[in-house]
Amino acid sequence: MSAITRPHIDMSEHAAVLFVVSILCLVANTVGPGNPVVAGLIGMAVLYAIVMAGLALAKWMPFYLPSVAWISIVGIVITLPGMPGQEWIVAQTEAVNFLILATPCLAYAGLAIARNEIEIAKTSGWRIALVAVFVLAGTYLGSAVIAHLVLSLQGA
Amino acid sequence: MEAVRKVASLWRLHVLVLAFTIAAELVGIVKIPIGIGAILLLPLLYSFVLGLLANPNITALGRKFIGSDEVKAATPLIVIAIMPFIAKFGTTIGPAIDKIISAGPALLAQEIGNLGTIILAFPIAVLVLRMGREAIGATFSIAREPNIAIIADRYTLKSKEGAGVLGVYVVGTLAGTFIFAVMASVLATAGILDVRALAMACGVGSGSMMAACTGALTNAVPSMEDEIVALAGASNLLTYATGLYVGLFIALPMVNWAYRILRGSEDEGASGTDGAAKPATNKQEG
Repeated sequence: MSAITRPHIDMSEHAAVLFVVSILCLVANTVGPGNPVVAGLIGMAVLYAIVMAGLALAKWMPFYLPSVAWISIVGIVITLPGMPGQEWIVAQTEAVNFLILATPCLAYAGLAIARNEIEIAKTSGWRIALVAVFVLAGTYLGSAVIAHLVLSLQGA
Repeated sequence: MEAVRKVASLWRLHVLVLAFTIAAELVGIVKIPIGIGAILLLPLLYSFVLGLLANPNITALGRKFIGSDEVKAATPLIVIAIMPFIAKFGTTIGPAIDKIISAGPALLAQEIGNLGTIILAFPIAVLVLRMGREAIGATFSIAREPNIAIIADRYTLKSKEGAGVLGVYVVGTLAGTFIFAVMASVLATAGILDVRALAMACGVGSGSMMAACTGALTNAVPSMEDEIVALAGASNLLTYATGLYVGLFIALPMVNWAYRILRGSEDEGASGTDGAAKPATNKQEG
């Protein structure tokens, strides 16, 4: 089915876009939380390398996982306790605030809303809008309540 | 370099994003106290709103800045722009792996909690709002890309189920970050549920929903920042791994079953490509 088809990844195009995005993130990291530029630069370079490694795995591994899953896995594995250079990598990425990394992305997202999406929002009407709020709230609350119950059962 | 030229040709788009990023970060986090807690406004919310205001499909003002070709070109950039964020989450999970493993049972169990949408939203859609089979597409999942693929595959996007999933997808895209930021900040400051549970639940949706949610949580409980980020990231990774299958094999059959229970007598044999044989539902849609 369509969700399993493997999307094509153009490595050089991803590398170029990521370069622009990394600069935007570095600016955000400097003007927002006020982190030092040089430390932020090294931190962004480390994150850049993790992303490219994840993309390479998504492109060339024999089985399919979404690229974001591979990127996450690379980030996890290289920072596991006991991995070579683990302390250095963690120290560098700590110079980048996690929340600022979403600021440029959301600006692209706002600019990318297409005309047909506006049409869908208009024609779906208020009932779908109301249901959507309950869908998001229900998913969040459902997960939070179950996690809370299991944590209390564990006594953790 | 072909790739570099392609990226450089979108310079106006990138400059706008740069300007919005700087503006959003300069304003910073704003805290609005309400009765039971506080709502946190985050820079990512401002940059999204600025993006909407400069979008030529939404405002006339936007047409002065960029063309519709650039808007189209912005879509594939979103998923690339979230990648450094995902990488950063990974580097927070690694060092906290002991805590993730000890929270393992809760993390796995809360993936089933994604079905909470069926318990809350489905009855409201069918019984209160009297929706037809749109309710199936609308409420079986949080309506992100893999879930759209499921509905497209099963019913096509032109069906009623397709209209439902696309409607919730668009509303989630437009308002999801706000809704997650509000829920997380109110619940964190209200102090009813364990902060770790709220953190895990942040991972149920898209990357931007997770960003808004963890941003609100970490600002409400700064002492737990690393743990919150690690748990949310682990939950999000699990959602990527399991979400498609939970949707396809559990959630969709469940809503179809529930729909038959609630509507069976008046909506027999509905299959999504139907339309003629059920005057009862058609009337309700009018």
